[in-house]
Amino acid sequence: MNLPPIDWHAIAPELVLTAAACLVLVVDLFLPDEAKWIAMPLSAAGLFGTLAAVVSLLGAERVTLAGSFEVNDFALLFKALFCVIGLIILALSLDYFRDGRYHQGEFYFLLLCALLGGVVMASARDLISIFIAIETISIPGIVMAALRKGDVRSNEGSLKFFLFSVLSSALMLYGMSLIYGVTGSTNVDEINQVLPQQHEGLVAVSVFFVVIGFAFKVSAVPFHFWAPDTYEGSPPPVAAFLASASKIGGFVGLLVLMFRAFPAVAEQWRPAFAVLAALTMTVGNLIALRQQHIIRLLAYSGVAQSGYMLVGFALIGANADTNSQAFKATVIYIVIYGLMDLGAFAAAISFARRGGTYFISDYSGLWNRSPALAGLMAAFLLSLAGVPPLAGAWAKLFVFLASIEAQVYWLAVVMGVNAVIAAWYYLAVVKRMFFDVPEVSEPIETPYLLRAAMGLAVLALVASFVYPRLVTDLADRSVLESRGADVELSSP
Amino acid sequence: MPEGYFGQYFTIAIFIVAGVVLVLGTFALAKLLSPFQPHTEKLTTYESGIDPIGTGWSQANVRYYIFALLFVIFDVEAIFLFPWAVVFERLGTQAFVEMVIFIGILTLALLYAIKKKVLEWL
Amino acid sequence: MPLSYVLVLAALLFSIGVYGVLARQHAVLVLLSIELMLNAVNINLIAFSAWLQDTGVPGQVFALFIIAVAAAEVGVGLALVILIYRNRRNVDVEGLSLMKW
Repeated sequence: MNLPPIDWHAIAPELVLTAAACLVLVVDLFLPDEAKWIAMPLSAAGLFGTLAAVVSLLGAERVTLAGSFEVNDFALLFKALFCVIGLIILALSLDYFRDGRYHQGEFYFLLLCALLGGVVMASARDLISIFIAIETISIPGIVMAALRKGDVRSNEGSLKFFLFSVLSSALMLYGMSLIYGVTGSTNVDEINQVLPQQHEGLVAVSVFFVVIGFAFKVSAVPFHFWAPDTYEGSPPPVAAFLASASKIGGFVGLLVLMFRAFPAVAEQWRPAFAVLAALTMTVGNLIALRQQHIIRLLAYSGVAQSGYMLVGFALIGANADTNSQAFKATVIYIVIYGLMDLGAFAAAISFARRGGTYFISDYSGLWNRSPALAGLMAAFLLSLAGVPPLAGAWAKLFVFLASIEAQVYWLAVVMGVNAVIAAWYYLAVVKRMFFDVPEVSEPIETPYLLRAAMGLAVLALVASFVYPRLVTDLADRSVLESRGADVELSSP
Repeated sequence: MPEGYFGQYFTIAIFIVAGVVLVLGTFALAKLLSPFQPHTEKLTTYESGIDPIGTGWSQANVRYYIFALLFVIFDVEAIFLFPWAVVFERLGTQAFVEMVIFIGILTLALLYAIKKKVLEWL
Repeated sequence: MPLSYVLVLAALLFSIGVYGVLARQHAVLVLLSIELMLNAVNINLIAFSAWLQDTGVPGQVFALFIIAVAAAEVGVGLALVILIYRNRRNVDVEGLSLMKW
C-alpha cells in the first residue's frame, strides 16, 4: 500500500504560512516585552512569502490530496486576497496591540492561523476540507475577539460569536453528514454527479442545513445577531478581520458548495437564497440607519453587503451563461467588498487611535482636523455606497446586471431600493465629516503605515473603477467548474 | 439460543439477570453472616487512614481547569495517531515524517504552555 | 441492524441538542447541547460509513476530524466561560445583553 503522492508545490502557500505561524509563536515566546512588536514584521514577511508561493503557482491547474485540494485561478485569486487582507490587518494592528499591550504575539499567531484557514478554503474541494478550513478561520477568530480579557464587552461579544459559530458548524455538519449518506462521497464533483438522482426531500433537507450553517458564518439575516455585538466588543483590528477575511472565507466555501457541489439541484435551494438575499440587504440597511457607533454601522452595512453577495446564488439556473455571469459578479463583489470594508475599518481605527472614539457624532468636522483621514474615510464609505468613481459602483452594477440577465427582476428592484437606503446613512457620515463644525479642533495624526495601507486600498478602488478589466479579468479567469479529467490524482 | 438481531439481546438479558442475582446474593449473604457492632470510629468514611474533613462534595481548585483543557486537547489529538499506527508498517517513511511534523506542531503548543508557566503549580 | 434505526437515534439526539441550545440558560449547558448535536452528526457519519461499506472511509475520517475540532472548540469555549465568570460572577446566556441593536 502506498500513500497517494502529494503535490508539494501545490500546497506551498499553506506550508509557508504554517511555518510562518509556528515561527511567530516560538519567536514571540523568547522576545522581551518591549520587543514583542517584532512579531508583526515577521508575520508580514510570512504573508509576503505566502504571496510569493501563490505567484509561483500562477496559471497552474493542479489537484492533489486525493482530489480534495485544487489549485486553479479561482483558488489563487482568493489565496492572494487573503494575504493582502492579512497584510492590511497587520498594518492596522501594530499600533493598537503595541500601545495597548494586548497579547501581541498571540494576536499575530492567531491571525496567521485564521488566514491559513482562508487560504485552505480557497482550494478546498471536499466537505471535510471545507469544514476544517472554516473552523480554522473561526476558532482563532473567537480567541482574537476575546483578547481584551478584562473588558466585559469583549468577553460577551466573543461568547456570542463562539456560540453562534459552533451552533452553525453543528447545523452545517448535520447537513453534510446527510449529503455524505445520500451520495456516498465527500468530494464536491462526485456529489454533483450523484445528487440529482437521489431522494428529493432528503437532498433538500441536507442542503437546507448546510445553507443555514453558512448563513450564520456570513451573517445573513435572520442569522446575523452575533455580528454587530461581536464587532463592537472585539478589538477593532479583529473586527476588521471578522468583517473581511472571516466573512469572505464563508462566501468562498458557499461558492464552492453551491456552484460546484449542488448546482444540479439548484431548483430546490435557489428560492431560499433569493429570500435570504432580499431580507439580508433590507434588514441590514434599515437597522444601519439608526446606528450611532461607527463599528456597529459598518457591521450592519456589512450585513447588507452580504445580501448583495448572496444575490448571485439566487440566480443559478439551467442557463450556463447566466450562471457564469452570476458567479463572476459575486466573485468581483467579494474582492471589492474585502478592500473597501477593510479600508473603512482602517479609517475608523486611525480616527480612534489616540483617545478618539467610535461614535459617529465625534466625526463632525473631521475635514478640518485631518483632511487626509476625512478624504480616505469618505472614499471608503462612498465606495461601500456604490458611488462612482470607486470600484464599489462596479461591484453593485455587475450584480444588478446579472440579476437582470437572469430575469429575476424583483431582486434587481430590491437592490435598487436598498442602494438608496444605504446611500442615506453613508452620506450622512460623509456630510458630518465635511460640513459640520468640529467640537474639538485638534489635528489627528495618522501613522505612515496606516496611511500607506489606506492609500493603497483607495488607489486600488479608483484604479479598478477607471480600468474595470483589472477585476473582471481576474473574475473571468477564475472559473470554478471542474475540468473533468483534472479531478484524478496528479502525480508530482 | 434464539436467532436474529433481537435474539442476540437474549444473551445480554441472561447476563443482566445473572449480574443482578450475583450482586444481590452476595450482599444478602454478607448481611446474614457478618456481625454488626458499630461505634463512631467505625462509621466514619474511610480515607486512607486520615481523619476525613468536610463533605464528599468538595470543589476542585479552579486552577485544575487549565490542566483539564490541555488534557482535552492533547488527548483528542491522539485519535489521529490511532489510524496512523494501525497501518504504520505499510506506509513507509513519508507517513512517519508527516506524523513527526504533526507531533512537532503539537510540541510547539506544549512549549508555549511551559513558557507561559501554565504547567507550574503556584 | 437497519440503517434507519441509527439515523432516527441521531435525529433525536440532534433535536435534543437543538432544544438544549434554545432552552438552556447556563453557557456550559448550551455548550453541552452543541456537543450533543455534533455527536449526532458523528453517529450519522459512522452509520452511513458502515452502510456504504467499501466507499465508507471518508465518513470515518470525517468523524475523526469532527471529534478533534469539537475538542478544540470545547477548549476555547470553556476558557471563555471561565474568563466571563471571572469578570461577572455568572455565565447565564440571558445576561449577555450589554450590547443590543
